This record gives sequence, structure tokens and C-alpha cells, in this order.
Amino acid sequence: MIFNWSKYSFKPMTPQLSPVDEQDKLLDEALSLVKSQAFQMKRQLDKGRLMDGLKHASTMLGELRTSLLSPKSYYELYMAITDELRHLELYLLDEFQKGRKVADLYELVQYAGNIVPRLYLLITVGLVYIKTNMSQKRDLLRDLVEMCRGVQHPLRGLFLRNYLLQCTRDVLPDIPDTPDHPDGTVRDSIDFVLMNFAEMNKLWVRMQHQGHSRDRERREREREELRILVGTNLVRLSQLECVNLEKYRKPVLPGILEQVVSCRDAIAQEYLMECIIQTRQDMAVEDVVSLQVSLVNLALKCYAEKVEYVDKVLHSTLSIFERLNFQRVEYNSAVSRELTKLMKIPIDSYNDLLTVLQLENYATLLGHFDYRGRKTLAAYLVANALENETLVTTHDQVDAVLTMISPLIEDQKDQPSEEEDPEDFAEEQSLLGRFIHHLHSEDADQQYQILNIARKHFGGGGSRRLKYTLAPIVFQAYQLAFKYKSLKDEDELWEKKCEKIFHFVRQTIMALVKADLAELPLRLFLQGALAAGQIGFENHETVAYDFMSEAFSLYEDEISDSRAQLAAITLVTGAFEATSCFSEENHEPLRTQCALAASKLLKKPDQCRGVAACAHLFWSGKSLATKGEEMRDGKRVLECLKKGGRIASQCMDPSVQVQLFVELLNHYIYFYEKGNDQVTVGMLNQLIARIREQLPNLEAGDETEQINKHFSNTLDHLRSRMEYPEADEEGISYEGLVL
Amino acid sequence: MSAIMSFFGFGQGAEIDIVLDGTETRKMAEIKSEDGKKERHLLYYDGETVSGKVNVTLKKPGSRLEHQGIKIEFIGQIELYYDRGNHHEFTSLVKELARPGELTNHVSYPFEFLNVEKPFESYTGSNVRLRYFLRVTIVRRLSDIVREVDLVVHTLSSYPEMNNSIKMEVGIEECLHIEFEYNKSKYHLKDVIVGKIYFLLVRIKIKHMEIAIIRRETTGSGPNMYTENETIAKYEIMDGAPVRGESIPIRVFLAGYDLTPTMRDINKKFSVRYFLNLVLMDEEDRRYFKQQEITLWRKGEKTTRKGIQQQQQQQQQNLTTRFGNISIGDRNSSNGGNDGRSSGEDGEKEDGREKQVNPMTREDEESGSEEGGGFGPKGVPAGE
Repeated sequence: MIFNWSKYSFKPMTPQLSPVDEQDKLLDEALSLVKSQAFQMKRQLDKGRLMDGLKHASTMLGELRTSLLSPKSYYELYMAITDELRHLELYLLDEFQKGRKVADLYELVQYAGNIVPRLYLLITVGLVYIKTNMSQKRDLLRDLVEMCRGVQHPLRGLFLRNYLLQCTRDVLPDIPDTPDHPDGTVRDSIDFVLMNFAEMNKLWVRMQHQGHSRDRERREREREELRILVGTNLVRLSQLECVNLEKYRKPVLPGILEQVVSCRDAIAQEYLMECIIQTRQDMAVEDVVSLQVSLVNLALKCYAEKVEYVDKVLHSTLSIFERLNFQRVEYNSAVSRELTKLMKIPIDSYNDLLTVLQLENYATLLGHFDYRGRKTLAAYLVANALENETLVTTHDQVDAVLTMISPLIEDQKDQPSEEEDPEDFAEEQSLLGRFIHHLHSEDADQQYQILNIARKHFGGGGSRRLKYTLAPIVFQAYQLAFKYKSLKDEDELWEKKCEKIFHFVRQTIMALVKADLAELPLRLFLQGALAAGQIGFENHETVAYDFMSEAFSLYEDEISDSRAQLAAITLVTGAFEATSCFSEENHEPLRTQCALAASKLLKKPDQCRGVAACAHLFWSGKSLATKGEEMRDGKRVLECLKKGGRIASQCMDPSVQVQLFVELLNHYIYFYEKGNDQVTVGMLNQLIARIREQLPNLEAGDETEQINKHFSNTLDHLRSRMEYPEADEEGISYEGLVL
Repeated sequence: MSAIMSFFGFGQGAEIDIVLDGTETRKMAEIKSEDGKKERHLLYYDGETVSGKVNVTLKKPGSRLEHQGIKIEFIGQIELYYDRGNHHEFTSLVKELARPGELTNHVSYPFEFLNVEKPFESYTGSNVRLRYFLRVTIVRRLSDIVREVDLVVHTLSSYPEMNNSIKMEVGIEECLHIEFEYNKSKYHLKDVIVGKIYFLLVRIKIKHMEIAIIRRETTGSGPNMYTENETIAKYEIMDGAPVRGESIPIRVFLAGYDLTPTMRDINKKFSVRYFLNLVLMDEEDRRYFKQQEITLWRKGEKTTRKGIQQQQQQQQQNLTTRFGNISIGDRNSSNGGNDGRSSGEDGEKEDGREKQVNPMTREDEESGSEEGGGFGPKGVPAGE
């Protein structure tokens, strides 16, 4: 028998696609040739003439060398031909099983001059060898997948390798990995499929880069049609029973991912990601999630700038949950741990909360955690923003961020009823308070919107949270008002805007009042009054007065603890003293009110200290009437101090009394040095003598020691002033002072 | 003359028949005759005895046949087609079978050429033929009766001591750089060429790549030297355009092709050498190629029973390994022992650090020196 292959032909293969009608014609021609060659092949095989049968098979396969067909037509041709090849395979299997081995058939088919027909035949024969003699399986598989490298034409290569994959479908070794198993193990199957996959993916990606750029759309469409060929590899891997999670993590997944990464092709990456995810549906949820972790890591490592890749993974995770009807991720469950890992990766690697915001699926996925899971992650996100000084600069972003971290901001429906640890709660809310300062835009109008939206979110936090969150908002608002002041030359509406801000602030502070808070809103009102005064927009006096009077009401109505009362009145007095925006008409009642309130304090020492504090109002207090200068009403000052002295005298506790006298002495010295001519050296002498007289009677102790020290420090001060009178530029003389 | 005489029934005629010993067991081998037809003759090796019988059958038994003697010659000769008159005999042995006398009956003479030297391989080429034959002559006054029988001689070699791989980086500047590797430089006639092509730089649109086996026959010398190149095989090893970094496997089985051992300067008359031609074709049908000489040799076949068994076993076990392990991907994965990295016609030039790329030949070709003949393997004896 003479072995006579079809001639090795070089008919021109013009790489041009024919118009659509041409396609049909070409395909019809090819199909009819296939039909006739297949007929001949079968006839020869029936007669037992294997060589002639192979020759016709080869001629038939020669049709697959064409460059003229579109992928769709080529596919039809491929299907027709591989269908016919089944006859050859069955014939050979039959012969082999009958014991009629053609030992060198594997070699013989390799004489075919053209590579495409040669490799199809090689695969067909190789399969028969594998099926009839398992011991060569491993080598044959390796050989086939290697030899297919000879076809570098994308379309032809893809189909050839698809044939390889189809043929070997049922013979891939699927037994656990043991060294040197002659029939091969799952490891060999993995290597085989991974290599085939890698090569197919390269071919598929390469399609994109061939031909004219004007055909790009068509090429992309064609690639879409062909992608299933590439994906089949992954399906095959997923069908191997011995590919468990461990195997999948390594080497399967890294092998796949290496290709995904190195191909640098968007279509491929998207599709393959989808494939990876879909082919592992039978895994435990936590395992699926842990794979997603790998994917996200990959996406971040390789495509840090491509947020959409990470988002894609998140999206796929969501779809998996959806498919599995997986609603709630229980805290500390395996899934939760994996999912938490997944969620932390983007923020840890971007170190930018805003980038995480761009992940459209992040928040949704976050919503699948239970309350604790959500809150923990929210805190994690916030902490990251603080650490990296991330600024959230638009109100939309603020809205999104605050929605995302709402478990920190508002009570949740699924929140457990028991109270959480107050320290933890305080810590977490303080974090939030700090975070508010990061909601910041350089653009004033934008910042106003930011504050409004933030206020809306935080407003629902309930009294436990409001004290942590609204105060920063108020301070932000004051800063914004100052900002508008600095913009007054550019923004003619700045005064209106300031007024609006103060309205906003007032409402915000009132929310705190409604939450049964007093000291905090009082302070905020005072701060507001100061701010309004300093900014000096139209109507600022009204606002400042309103804020001062609100502070007073709070003092009167809400603060009952005497210590708190003293602290409050001291603050009010101090704040008021620092203002200069009031007209006499407003200033007078306020300062009178201060003095009155001070003298009405319950405890004598408190009264004394309050009154002494008020003394300063009459000295350094400023109003429109004084044109912003200190009023320096020496007489009223002295009246206050004297009143203080009287009150101190009424104190029953000797040491408190002495303490108050020392304090008063300091006030006296202060005003004396400031040039208040109502205060005389004689008064100082009198006070010093009185203290000296009483001090020795005090019982020894820490308190007495403290008072002693205070007093001797005071005397030291006076002594130094007397020794170096020239140091005093005001010309204040301590002549006559008896120390 | 004698034919005419016998036709007219004049005189006595005789048929000579040469029957060689051991025809039932001796192998036959195929060789082309001068006009291209395939013939099969008994196969001999160097040093083997050629023996047998010469039977002379008289056409008219009983009548006399006078002769001046009967002899048998063993002749090895080189025939150059362009110099028909001169045959160069490199071996010529004569045995006298009968002294001058008469024949009246059929007669049979045994003969034996003991341990004959047969230094060269039988060969039929384009311009030259090397043949061995036995010639029996019944010498007569008017016309001799002559009978010739051709033999085929195969020269066997033992496994070559040095057999480096052929590895070389070649290319066209800034256009195409490849590295190719053939696992050996010397192949026996049933051998397999295993190798790979590694693409280092691809800036042309390659359509396909093939390996051709070329036989170069050189005859004569000086001004009368003729060189004939014949493409024995063409074998496509790659379809489509690879990108940088791809490596493509090569596996060519030689058994299927009409090959002879490499012959160098046979009796100062001719040489037959073989080349592997690696050819890349681009989309504009330009060809890029690089030729490398390989040495072909004929391996002695094991004929002992044990040998045959071993062979069969080997075939069973090493279906793929016998093709050589193709390991691809890492171009630096050497097959071992090829540190020499050289051989072949051009050798490799390494100039300091700068690696010089051996030039490939580029041809703009539409004529296509691909003479239209069939390039599949021809006449592989299969089965029978």
C-alpha cells in the first residue's frame, strides 16, 4: 500500500472576508466538498482501506485551512467536519479493540504536509490511543497540547484547540494527585487544560489586533461570538471532581489569572472574570467569597487605576449571593470573615474612601452584613479616612458616604436591643465626630450643602449620638461663616448666606436642646454669639443677642447643678466680655443679667467668684457705645469686688474664705495694675492683713498648703513689682504697700 | 546479433540466469532506475559475500555452443549522465566459470565473491548513478552472451560520537529575529527531527512556516561541476502569524521520505548532501529562509530476535517519547549538551556582548521555486 497524502498546497489564502452573499456561497462549496470527501472516506474505511480513508479525511480537513470564512461560517464548517471525523474515530476504536493495531498510526498521520489537517488527525488518532491504552495518556495529552502551538492563526487555532478540548473531554485524568502515576492525575489534567486555555486566550486576544482599525467593531463582535470557545476550558476545569478548593486556589486560579492579567485585553478580562465566577457555583459560599478576595487582590495589584475591575468582582459576589438567595451574613461566620476581608481590601489598598465610593456595588454588598458586621466595617472605613486625611468634598459624596456608614449614624432596624459598651460607643462616635471635619469643600456654597446633608443624616442619630455629631457640624458652620466673610468682596450675597448659616446653626443647636442637652448647646450658642459678632454681617447683633439670650435661658431653665451653674455663668460672662458688637441698648441688660445671675448663685463661694468675674465685664467689656473700646467703669468694678468681699466674709468655712480672699486679692491687684483708680494700696494692705491674720488658723493639709502657696506667689509678684518699679511702664506705684 | 540469429533459428543460443544464494531470506531494497522507475533488488552490505549459481540454459539442447570462456564479474561503478562513455569502476572482480570450450547441455556454475568490499551506497540521482551489478559473459567470437543483475548496497554507520544540536539565532535586522533549534545535527534515515522555533522579534505578517528537506547533489569538479538541488519534502510547521515570545514545535519524521545517507566526495566523483531549509512566508509572499546542513546516516537494523522484541517494546512504550520531549515555553531550557551551540554551515558568531544575528535570506518571490511537484512524502512503504 502506498501512502499518499494530499499535496501540500499553497493556494493563495487571501485574508479578506467576502461579502455576506459570498460567504454563503463559499460555505456551500466547502460543505459539499466535505460531504463528498467524507463519503469517500467512509467507503474506503468500509473496505478496510485505512490509508485511503485517511487520505480523504485529510483532504476534507484541508477545507479548514481557509481564510475566507467568517467565524460563523467557519464554525458551521468545523461542525460538519468534526462530525465526520467521528466516523474515523469510531472506525479506529473498533479496529483497535479488535486487536488490529496500527502501531505507527500516530506517526503516520504526522506525514500530512499541511499542519491544520495534520493536527486534527493527530488529535483524532491520539484520542483513540488514549482510549485503548491508558498508560500513554499523560504523554499523549502533553504532546497534543504542545503540538497545537503550530497553529498560530487565531480562528483556526481556536477551533483546533476546541477540537482538542472536546475530544479529550471524557479522558482527562481525574484522580487525586500522586507522584508519578502512570495514567496521569488531576494535576496533568490541570496542566493540560490550563495550557490549552492560555494558548486559546492568547489567540482570542490576538484577533483584536489584526486587520484594519476600521473593522474594530466587527472584530469585537466576532470575538464575542468566539469567547465561549475560550471559556469552555474553564468549564472543563470546573468539571474535574478532584479540583477542590485547595487545587483551585493553587494552581488553577493563579494559572487562569496569570492569563487574565497578562493578556491586557478588556474584553477578555471581563469575560474571564465572569467565567471564573460562574464555573464555581458548587462551592461553599465562604469559598466563593475567598476566591473573590483573590480576584480583588489581583485586580488591585494589576489594575490599580481600573476601579471597574474591582467593582466587577463585587458585583459578581452580589450575584452569587442573589443566586444562592443568601441574605444575611452573620457576624463572625466564615462567610462574614471572608467577606470582611474582601471589603477591606479596596480601602486598604486605595487608602481613599472616595475611590471606594466609586465602587458601585460596594455599599450594596455592605448591606448584606448583619448589624455588627456593617458597623465594624463602617468604623473601619471612617478610621481609614481619618488616618489618610481623606476629604469628602461634594455633597453627593457626603450623602453616599454617610449612607454607607449609617450603622454608625442611626439606629438600625436589625440592631440588637441590648446596650453596647458605653466606652466603645463613645469611641466610635468620637471617630464620627472627627470625621465630620473631613467633610469639607474649599468651595463655600458646596460646603454649605455638605453641612446641610450631613445635618440631615446625623439629625436622626438620637440623643445618644447627637452630642458627638452635631457639635462638629456647628463648628464647621461657624468656620464657613468666617469663610464667607473672607469672600465678601467676591460674593455680594455673603451677608445673607451668613445669616442663613446662623439660622441653620440655631436649628441644629435647638436639636441638641430638644435632646435634653444643656451645657453643650449653651457653649455652642456662646461660640455662635462670638462668631456673629466677629463676622459683623448685617443683622449680626440681633443674631448675637438671640444666641446670648438663648444661652441665658438654657442657664436658667436647664442647668441646676451648682458647679455647672458656676461654670456656665463664668463662660457666659467670659464670652460676653469678649463681644463688642452690642449696642448699649442690648449690652446693658446682658451685663446686668450676668451680674444678677452671678449674685443669685446658690452657694456663697460661687456667688463670690461669679461676682468677681462680672467685675471684668465693667472693665474690659466693649460695646458700640464705647466704640469698641473697653468701658473701664472703675466704680462698678470696685462695687463688684467689694460685693465679692462681703460674700466671702459670709462663708462659714475658714479655708474657703481665705481662698476666696486670696482670689479677690488677685482681682484687686489685676485692676490696680490696669490703672483702676478706685482700687487703692490701702485696700490691698487691708486684704493682705486679713489673709495673714486668718491663714495660721487653718488646719494643716493639702488645701491649706495650696492656699498658702497661692498667697505667697501673689506676694512674690507684688514684691518684684516693688523692687523694680521701673519695669512698670504704666507708672503704677506700690508705694505704701505693706508686705 | 545473436538475437537476430536466434530469431532466424541460426546457431545455438543460451539463456543465462544468475541465482543468488539466500534469496528467500535476503532483504530486497528499492532503488530508482535511471529513467525513474522503481526497482527492487537484493540488498547487500559491505563485506558480505556474494555467491550463487549461474545457470546456462541452451535453447537447443544437444546442439553445440562454442565459447571462448565464461566469466562472472562483480562491478561497482559510477555513471555520470553527461559522460555516458565513461563509467568509473571502483570495484571490479572477475571469476572464471569455464575455460574456452563447448557447451552441449544446460550447465550450472557456482560462484562466490568472498567478503566483497562495497564501500559506497547504491544511488540514483539527477546526474549520477552509483550501481553494483553482477555480469556473466559467455564470450563468443561474434557476439557475447551477457547477463547482468543489479544489487543494492546499503552502507551502515554506527551511532555518531558527536551529535550536537543545531541552535542558532537568525533574522533580518529590525524585522524578524528567530532562534531555531534542531535536536541533532546527524540523523539516521528513520530518525525524527525534533526542534523548536522561538520568535524573538516579529515585525512582519507571517503567513506560515515550513521546513523543507533539500538534497544537493554535486557532480564533477572544476568547470564541469554540476549542482542539483531537489526538494525532497516540504512540511508546514506553522500556520498563521505568531507574536514575539511564541515558540513553535518541530517534529519531522524522516522515514517517510526518499532519503539516502549523506555522501561526501564519493570516489572524487560526486557528493550528496542534505539541508534543512526553514522558510517563513509573509502575507506578501516574500520568503525568508535559512538553510542548515544535516548529516544523514543509515543505521544498522537489529535483526536478532532479541533485538526485534526490544524494538517492539520500545515502540509500545515510547510512542511519544521517541519523538523527543518537546518542551516549549522556556527558550533557555536546553536539551543538554549543546553548549557548543554551534554547528551547521554558518556556525554562530558571537561578537563580544553584542550578539550578531545571522542573516536570513529574503526573497521577493512570485515565481515560486516551489516546483509544482507533490511534496507529501512519497512512497512510504506502509504495512506490506
